[in-house]
Amino acid sequence: MHQLLPYLLTSLLVVGLATPLLEKKLKYRTGVFLSVIPLSFFLYFLWVFTSLGKTESLIIPPIMELVRGGGLSVRLDGLSVLFGLMVSGIGVLVLFYASAYMRKYPRQGYFFMLLTFFMGAMLGMVLTNNLIALFIFWELTSVFSFLLIGFDNHLEKARKAALQGFLITAFGGLCLLFGVLLIGDIAGTYEISELLNKGELITSHTRYPLIFLFLVLAVFTKSAQFPFHFWLPGAMNAPTPVSAYLHSATMVNAGVFLLLRVNPFIGDTLLWDSVLPLFGSITMFTGALLAFGEKDLKRILAFTTISALGIMVLLAGIDTTKSIKAALVFFVVHGLYKGALFMIAGLIDKTTGTRDIDRLGQLWKPLGLVSFAALLSFFSMAGLPPMLGFIGKELIYGAKMQAAYFSNIILVFGILSNMLMVGISFYVFYQVFWPYRRVKKKVAIDGHYARSFLLSFGPVILAAFSLGLGLAPVRIGKYLQNAIYFIRAEEVAVDLGLWHGVNAVLILSIITVGGGILLFIFRKQVAFNVARFNNWLNKFYLPDVFDKVIKNYVKVASRQTDRIQHGYHRYYLITFFVITSLLVVVHLFANSGIAPELQLQPIKSYLLILFIVMAFAAGYAIFSSSRIAAILALGIVGYGIGLVYLFFGAVDLAITQFLVETLVMVIFVLVIYKLPVFAVFSSKASRVRDIFIALLAGGMMGMVVLKSNFFNVETPISDYFINNSLNLAHGKNIVNVILVDFRALDTMGEITVLALAAAGVVALLRLNIKKRENE
Amino acid sequence: MNNIVLRTIVNLISRLLLYLSIYLLWRGHNAPGGGFIGGIIAAIGFVFYAIIYGPGKTRERIKLPPMYYIGGGLFFSALSTVISVFTGRQPLTGLWIDIPLPVIEDIHLGTPFLFDMGVYLVVFGMITAIIINIMEVLRWN
Repeated sequence: MHQLLPYLLTSLLVVGLATPLLEKKLKYRTGVFLSVIPLSFFLYFLWVFTSLGKTESLIIPPIMELVRGGGLSVRLDGLSVLFGLMVSGIGVLVLFYASAYMRKYPRQGYFFMLLTFFMGAMLGMVLTNNLIALFIFWELTSVFSFLLIGFDNHLEKARKAALQGFLITAFGGLCLLFGVLLIGDIAGTYEISELLNKGELITSHTRYPLIFLFLVLAVFTKSAQFPFHFWLPGAMNAPTPVSAYLHSATMVNAGVFLLLRVNPFIGDTLLWDSVLPLFGSITMFTGALLAFGEKDLKRILAFTTISALGIMVLLAGIDTTKSIKAALVFFVVHGLYKGALFMIAGLIDKTTGTRDIDRLGQLWKPLGLVSFAALLSFFSMAGLPPMLGFIGKELIYGAKMQAAYFSNIILVFGILSNMLMVGISFYVFYQVFWPYRRVKKKVAIDGHYARSFLLSFGPVILAAFSLGLGLAPVRIGKYLQNAIYFIRAEEVAVDLGLWHGVNAVLILSIITVGGGILLFIFRKQVAFNVARFNNWLNKFYLPDVFDKVIKNYVKVASRQTDRIQHGYHRYYLITFFVITSLLVVVHLFANSGIAPELQLQPIKSYLLILFIVMAFAAGYAIFSSSRIAAILALGIVGYGIGLVYLFFGAVDLAITQFLVETLVMVIFVLVIYKLPVFAVFSSKASRVRDIFIALLAGGMMGMVVLKSNFFNVETPISDYFINNSLNLAHGKNIVNVILVDFRALDTMGEITVLALAAAGVVALLRLNIKKRENE
Repeated sequence: MNNIVLRTIVNLISRLLLYLSIYLLWRGHNAPGGGFIGGIIAAIGFVFYAIIYGPGKTRERIKLPPMYYIGGGLFFSALSTVISVFTGRQPLTGLWIDIPLPVIEDIHLGTPFLFDMGVYLVVFGMITAIIINIMEVLRWN
């Protein structure tokens, strides 16, 4: 059963390709139908989760290796299964939700294809046991995120946000690749299961800081940490199902996942324990603060997501058993409430046509069950009992107190940002749902969406899980042990509970809630001031700075390109000939002196005649004033070369030379037939220049040929070809055997170039024809 | 060029060249010939055809758009590249099978032949694509 997992993951690609066809048949039911896939994954993970022992991990070897040491081997342990459960579970609900949400959109088949691909990439990333495979899936999630953010590709904003998110996350992906390669170089393996006990080797290596830097850049870009956080609010231009899935519950958590994954062999160092908590707390606080200044429901949620990601990075950085436990629980907590809230935001958007929290109001009654789900989710976000969020927050406080470095500052920032979270939860809920708030103008409500089963199914289920797991936390607690065992390499009993008696943590919680309520009471002033602060901050608006950098980069690049790619064929030829000749001449001169070592043999008389004819033809081509005559003369040179091949027994070469020469002749004549006669001849100066270039190129070629006899440094490979052509490659024609067997990779490259060249030529010519047709 | 003699001859020659090219492709592994040469010869037949009959007729005659031949050729070559991977060998390893036949000698077939076929198709497609399009730009005939 487990052995099939790599195949199942790969099969998601096939299913993804088939979705546009499915969509033609199933229409809007596609999403519901597709949800069978994540559902089966979910059930499978659930089964693995319950059957996996406390210190057990399952490793499935790869089907085949892509590169040496890099193949899709699968690792099932607490961490991967926990992430897999969230990815597949929320995947089911998002597919349900999307099938209703995307109903009026064009290109739904394409949308579901991307979503399926993303699911496959994300599952592959969390499940793999190989760092190379992890990198590939990591980049794939970035690509699909790019395509999904820009799904409304007629909007410039969406395209811009997509590009921005992609450039940043792909940059992080490259950093990850460097980091992975360095790790593999030091440890000699990319398999995570083998790396687990090589931590000492890596962390004590002199290149460790470099590895750490690369991995941290990857994590910070993917998980939207300060100062790379700004792409995430932009990503809200995606359709809401995408925001709910990629940009809150799954993809942005990839950075946190990576931190937890590499913790056993990268973590537990001074750098790790100081850098991560520092940036984590900055992100946590700024995210929560800036959320207060926003009016758009989705943007508010995006900033709270940034804050939550900051918390998780911080917890992974504190790096104690308690903090890892807190990070894992908070990952679940956050996925549950944020997924639900995003879906609700989308539902509200569809129902009322706006996401502005000032214009919305009194939605408690019209939305019915969904408002209750929203209430529970906001409770979980605020960290109030009896939700799972409360347990998460308690754990976080406990963990923060243990931080190795500046734990006091972290704790203060933590309390402040949690107060802000409580405040914003109350604030948004009050603005949007509270039935007794006075609103100037009631928003119109589209009952069709408000009562849609598919739209409300997701949030209600997620909220129910938030509540259910809060009331019976033992359920997940038991299974976190396995994850913690592999991250911290120690066996601990995880017992989660709502009530731990009156202790420091509980007091902190009470203070937080009190502060949050205070913030809620002064919400107008707070929101106003944060908005003002935000305006001031916009002077250094990071997306704009980023845009400027990219724009300047493109400008410099295009100027450079203009200089090199000027579009004059003759100058390209001049550059090519001069540089090649000079390089060869200099190299020859440096190595063995420029004079050829002559070892002349008497020349055959028929060859001599041939050469004289060719020389005359070449001379004629130079001085002729008619194009067609010049080309025919060049043809004589070509055929002459073919004859030379024939004299020396290279039949295949000769045939090819003749054929190509004929073909070139025909094409030339075809084209030249239609061209006017020479109107302007080149000036004297340029002719003199051309003579020198021609002499240089010709002289270089001649010298190389004369010298080449003495260059046999190693035994020529031709002996190998001659000896093995028949035995190994079953062919008597050595030229052909070299082309299609010994050197088939070269040929593969050559025909690809041919195909591209043909595509280019055809495109250019068709452009011409099209222009003519338009006139 | 509306000349009945030319038309008949070119019709015949282009056919002959096509058969010749297939023969050269087939024997290429053991005697002068092969995909590259075969592809050029087949294409030259159609170039003659195009000169006499014009690009439109040539398009009809080769049935598929030239780009399809190029794509198909690349596909065959790529296929022969990966087939050996599925048998657990390095990519591009030549695999051979013998097909015993009565009377005439056995056929010795291998993935390099598939590869050569790809080369043949790419070369053929490329030349016809360029010639036909040039002629359309020049409004030949």
